[in-house]
Amino acid sequence: MAARVLSTQEMKIASEDDVVLVRRAVRALAERRGFDSFASAALTTAVTELGRNIWVHARSGMAIIEELEDGLRPGVRVEFKDLGPGIPDIDWAMAGGNSTASSLGLGLSGTKRLVDDFQLQSEVGRGTSVRITKWKRF
Amino acid sequence: MNKLGITEQELASRRAYFQLTDGDLTRLAALRPFAERHNDAIVDAFYQELILKHAESRLFFTDQATLQRAVAAQKRYFLELFSGVADLSYMENRLRVGTTHQRIGVAPKWYLGAYAHYLRLISDRLLAEQGPSAETQEKLRSLQKIIFFDMAIAIETYIAAGLDALARHQAAIRELSTPVIQLYERVLLLPLIGTIDTARAMQVMENVLMRVVERQAKVIILDIAGVPVVDTRVANHLLQTTEAVRLLGASTVLTGISPQVAQTMVQLGVDLSKMHTRASLEEGLELALGLTGRSIRVKEA
Amino acid sequence: MQSGQIPILRIGTTLLASIQIELRDTTAQSFQEDVLKAIEKSRSRGLIIDITGLDMVDTFVARILTDTGRMAKLMGTETVLVGMRPEVAATLVRMGFSMQGVHTALNVDEGLALLAQLQGAQGRA
Ligand SMILES: Nc1ncnc2c1ncn2[C@@H]1O[C@H](COP(=O)(O)OP(=O)(O)OP(=O)(O)O)[C@@H](O)[C@H]1O
Ligand SMILES: [Mg+2]
Repeated sequence: MAARVLSTQEMKIASEDDVVLVRRAVRALAERRGFDSFASAALTTAVTELGRNIWVHARSGMAIIEELEDGLRPGVRVEFKDLGPGIPDIDWAMAGGNSTASSLGLGLSGTKRLVDDFQLQSEVGRGTSVRITKWKRF
Repeated sequence: MNKLGITEQELASRRAYFQLTDGDLTRLAALRPFAERHNDAIVDAFYQELILKHAESRLFFTDQATLQRAVAAQKRYFLELFSGVADLSYMENRLRVGTTHQRIGVAPKWYLGAYAHYLRLISDRLLAEQGPSAETQEKLRSLQKIIFFDMAIAIETYIAAGLDALARHQAAIRELSTPVIQLYERVLLLPLIGTIDTARAMQVMENVLMRVVERQAKVIILDIAGVPVVDTRVANHLLQTTEAVRLLGASTVLTGISPQVAQTMVQLGVDLSKMHTRASLEEGLELALGLTGRSIRVKEA
Repeated sequence: MQSGQIPILRIGTTLLASIQIELRDTTAQSFQEDVLKAIEKSRSRGLIIDITGLDMVDTFVARILTDTGRMAKLMGTETVLVGMRPEVAATLVRMGFSMQGVHTALNVDEGLALLAQLQGAQGRA
């Protein structure tokens, strides 16, 4: 069944505080839609990693939080968009353990393993968009 | 917000899809005096001709009081069609009725059959009273729209409730497929039986972690003697579980490692050196007790 | 940067830090500094970090916690991380984060016992 968007919320990300606000909003939504504690923790952790990537690597951007329903179960989709430097080598960035910020480089690869769907688009000089979706378990 | 997750936005798109316009609602509101005048007769006919005539639907009414309550509720339900509103609270109201029907076991066929019968009864009366004019046709169309709009909500409630029940069953099965047993104080055992795929491995890990914290266990024994295939994927799941248990401050002992499993692990290059492993459950238990400062002693005769 | 948001208690030669607030990056960083300063000041031998109150630990915070343990060790203090929640442990391992070298315990009491054991072993060596 096709996913239906029940509500949309846009939030800016330009500071650490903004990341905290986005993660609170996503947690509240996940809990309201009955996600279990493991799924909520996975989702909020993923959101924190991607939100932090925006302000660390691109300085500012947006998070678009969508509440989904596919006729069978609720879901949450969050898109992180920025107009930053972009990622020159996506395979390298996704490999896990690679970082241009001398960090662990586990944000992107780890996040992908925490969600049901992970879409990354990036163009050098134009920006990056990462869209993650997580569904409530049956 | 409600169970089906219906928002103003969703309501608006639903109404658009059913083409239920403000004009329809106004027409329905104008029909209210007519509906009120005929309501008692219609609902009575409805019960006599349909519900009480069929053994299966008659079963819902074991006593007179129940029947009277149902009839009264039915009358309200039909009159609400002519309230001139189809807003969120209208929908929630309909949803509640759907949930009640589902709960007491009114199957969708009873609901739909009854609604179809009602539509015939009221149409006949409307045609008889107001004649088959274009205007009457227009009114009937409005009535049909709101009834279909209603039925969609009811059907979705049935589906949602069914899925809910399914989810509860699945949770129960999940619980059964990962039965964590307390062997001694602070020593747990999880005998794994059957194939372990990624979804089950995740359930196993989550269940193990929850039980360890709940019982404040120091050791959990994972017995894999009943797992037919242990490949790299399964081994990695076991490693992850072990690491997660360590993060909680407890230890894992892996038992039931057959010669084949040992061979596969080494050939696949899976590093199990960080895990406590034993061939048999007995040996694993001894190790687990040792880790909690206990031992099994053979009593001198 | 605001320090002192996470209280660090001293019990004998052990420091106990209980994280009860939602950790943001800057709080985590100043917590690390506070802990190291407290170790210096109190000449403690053991540190217990209680994270029962954290419903989420991302890789940044996990790294700060791991690093704090390593730094404390350089200063002669063993660290035990206690009270990690099931969903936090599951998330960290799924992300591929291993808190190598960190001691863990189920609760504060067990953490204290583990510290005593570690220090005993050290004393004997
Ligand atoms: N929004 C972004 N804009 C530009 N580059 C990015 C963005 N997100 C990630 N990257 C690039 O991808 C690399 C990997 O990202 P990842 O989140 O996995 O690691 P990290 O942020 O470097 O470290 P960690 O998240 O583990 O602290 C980053 O080092 C950076 O080069
Ligand atoms: Mg990152």
